[in-house]
Amino acid sequence: MILNVNGNKHEVQAGTRTLLEVLRDDLGLVGTKEGCGVGMCGACTVLVDGKPISGCLILAEQIAGKEIFTVEGLARNGKLHPIQQAFIDERAFQCAYCTPGFILTTVALLNENPNPGDDEIREYLSGNLCRCGSYRNILLAVKRASQTK
Amino acid sequence: MIGESVPMLDSIARVTGALDYMINLRLPNMLFGKIVRSQAPHVELLKVDITNALRVPGVIAILTGEDLGANAFYGVAIKDQGVIAVDRVRYVGEPIAAIAAESVEAAEEAALLIDIEYDELPSVFNAQEAIQAGAPALHDKFPNNIFKHAKLRHGDMDAAFAEADEIFEDTFTSPVAQQASLEPHVSAAQWGGERLTIWTASQAPFMVRKALSEIFEIAPEAVRVIVPPLGGAYGGKGHIRIEPLVAAMARKTNGRPVKFVLSRAEEFVTVTKHAASITLKTGVKRDGTFTARQVAIYWNGGAYADASPLLVPAGMVRSVGPYRIPAVSVDSYGIYTNLPPAGAYRGAMSSQTTWAYESQMDIIARKMGWDPLEFRMKNLFVSGEHFATGEELHDVHFVECLEASAKGLSLTPGPSPFGRGEKWKHGRGYAVMMKSTVATSKSQARLKLMDDGTVTLYTSTVEMGQGGHTTMAQITAESLGIPLSAIKIIGPDTAITPFDSTTSASRSTSMMGNAVIAACGSMKKKLFDLGAPLLETPIDELRTEDGYVVADEMSISFGDILKRNNLDALEESGEYSTSLGIDPETGQGVATPHWHQGAGAAEVEVDIETGRVTILRYSAASFAGRVVNPRMAQLQNDGNVIFGLGPTLMEEIIYDGGQATNPNLADYAIPSIRDIPAELISVCIESDEGGMHGIGEMTLPPVAPALANAIEDAAGVRIKDLPITAEKILRALKEKPEP
Repeated sequence: MILNVNGNKHEVQAGTRTLLEVLRDDLGLVGTKEGCGVGMCGACTVLVDGKPISGCLILAEQIAGKEIFTVEGLARNGKLHPIQQAFIDERAFQCAYCTPGFILTTVALLNENPNPGDDEIREYLSGNLCRCGSYRNILLAVKRASQTK
Repeated sequence: MIGESVPMLDSIARVTGALDYMINLRLPNMLFGKIVRSQAPHVELLKVDITNALRVPGVIAILTGEDLGANAFYGVAIKDQGVIAVDRVRYVGEPIAAIAAESVEAAEEAALLIDIEYDELPSVFNAQEAIQAGAPALHDKFPNNIFKHAKLRHGDMDAAFAEADEIFEDTFTSPVAQQASLEPHVSAAQWGGERLTIWTASQAPFMVRKALSEIFEIAPEAVRVIVPPLGGAYGGKGHIRIEPLVAAMARKTNGRPVKFVLSRAEEFVTVTKHAASITLKTGVKRDGTFTARQVAIYWNGGAYADASPLLVPAGMVRSVGPYRIPAVSVDSYGIYTNLPPAGAYRGAMSSQTTWAYESQMDIIARKMGWDPLEFRMKNLFVSGEHFATGEELHDVHFVECLEASAKGLSLTPGPSPFGRGEKWKHGRGYAVMMKSTVATSKSQARLKLMDDGTVTLYTSTVEMGQGGHTTMAQITAESLGIPLSAIKIIGPDTAITPFDSTTSASRSTSMMGNAVIAACGSMKKKLFDLGAPLLETPIDELRTEDGYVVADEMSISFGDILKRNNLDALEESGEYSTSLGIDPETGQGVATPHWHQGAGAAEVEVDIETGRVTILRYSAASFAGRVVNPRMAQLQNDGNVIFGLGPTLMEEIIYDGGQATNPNLADYAIPSIRDIPAELISVCIESDEGGMHGIGEMTLPPVAPALANAIEDAAGVRIKDLPITAEKILRALKEKPEP
């Protein structure tokens, strides 16, 4: 099957494997992580046709033909995406295992709602977990990104 | 440099997903490992037949207890844990066999074909039941299941209790919880002859090296431990975890590397937070002072002693509290049960003990009619006083911590400014904590200056998200007088980075920081020796700045000093160690090089119709000595509070016959962004005389008691068993006698 990832088409033998496994093991896109394996933590968040989904819950076969976007697709020509820069500026991570997932969910949020309020941000990001507890700075980063976008 | 909020050095890799976590590691010819685990809590193994499993295509080797040598046991003080089960299994999840295969699928198929026969033995899961006469003994050497009894004896207890006007006795419990780093335990190992290389997500590379050298009977130098940046640890990757099993598996694969990645369910049986039952008996006088405190702590250590022989005595000194109490007696018991082994959990042991002593502070204050804040302020230690270990306390800032956190709360007294009707009750609560760090430990650092002016710092401090490497780079930049951009950090890699005891107990900023300062001091001295003749200036008139040795009117770059002396590099090392401790029979001595100090203040609303708690504000303060990086320090304070909300409000592993029923992040909830306080305030207290303190845990232990105290202030119910769920609050409200 063909997977369309970050604007590039890849021929893969997905079998019954999840999108997460194919991205990591076949395409080497290791920014996407497994945290819980049951769609609760959001470490495996990718965008499919612009919507955040858990890569651990979906088979690669199920999304043939759709546009998949991972954290590796964000920086362009060596320049960070404004949301990535906002996460650095607001120190919105510690171990950063969850960070690609948070950033991609934020991309989707700001596409849908360029100026979200606190409650909207909290609601939208509640499917991404940060065990280090950087949430306050994540809120600040999302707001900063919404202002600089 | 010190005092500047520079971003983490590898920030770009962290936001682009490019950071090289252990989980990304791929080695040429690498095999995939899979562990077959016990499904019963306590059994005598009769047979482990791997014949059919070995026939699965792609299976290279299978490890069982038969492969192990006589020394294949480990544990920091009591070597009771086998690399893999030999003839007995003591908890659900204990490894019985391990498979190395060409693919994960082959390993999983083989796992289903291993034939295990066993006889079930009686089991026990509760620590206080495990020490009753007739309870099944887990280990022959400890027939009563008590593997550690730590004692603290200070003052005449009988006389002190006789002086009390009131005596309070309360028991507080904490359940088993899990560290739940999002990156699981991951290790890969490869043997080349009698030399072992292991890549592992560990907080303690040199402990791993020591354990593996003992198990495999090879020199420590024959074991190379490499630690990439970790995706969270929180104590769960401290001490020895899966490394012995992974290394033993790799010994059977003819030199091919094998990598193990634990599943989330396996995480829950690999290490946990100690369940604890703590009974405090405290005598007070009507003037608001203490006379005595007697503490009994029952720690559920699980099936193997693991790090508990160190943690149980640490928990003992961490159970007394930061108050002037003339007579203190503590008995801290480490107890075997048929649960997975317990280990350090962020704020190790203090999370459980602070829950107890700070909850009781409010129980006492309420009964005696005292203001809980004033009662604390009146009794908090100040510098120069003596703790129950007999040691003098230095650089003490409990009062400032508590004041700073209390100041963060709403200034409006009385009913809630946020009130949403009659059913919402508003309350405030406070807590303070006093925690030791490692009494005896050592850190070494090595600096290599190149003739291009760049400096490499070799350190075994583990970067696990706390910013340890950035902190060390800032300390190097300031101490040596070079720009941050000229510094590169390498480590941990036991083959090339010098010794460090462990990255835990918030010790690195202080211990490794001082080792780095020492190395910088030596390097500067060497540069002055070499530079003084070139600058024709006496050494005592030289200083360093921005990568230059500077005299009054001239300067020369570090690189040029090397070149002019025909040197391509200059290496210097530094070391910092402490050698302290307490008497095992009396607990008297010096428990820690410095005391960790933190406080929290909570403002909540309780919905008395549902028991639901909303945290309006949480204000946290820690004593930091000298802050190296203010924004990262604040992030540590924040992280502690948010992490602490988990065990306070939601986290508990529920067991049924020793089997965890919720070993996944759907049924075992950890805090999300929606659980954080509406307003979160973090303060780091600095002092002129203070050295650099770690702050990785200080604001965590106060969270549970501060919230319990605020809940009682709001709704009039006292919860003594964590976690504080809405159900518990509602039940307590219903059982509360009408006023």
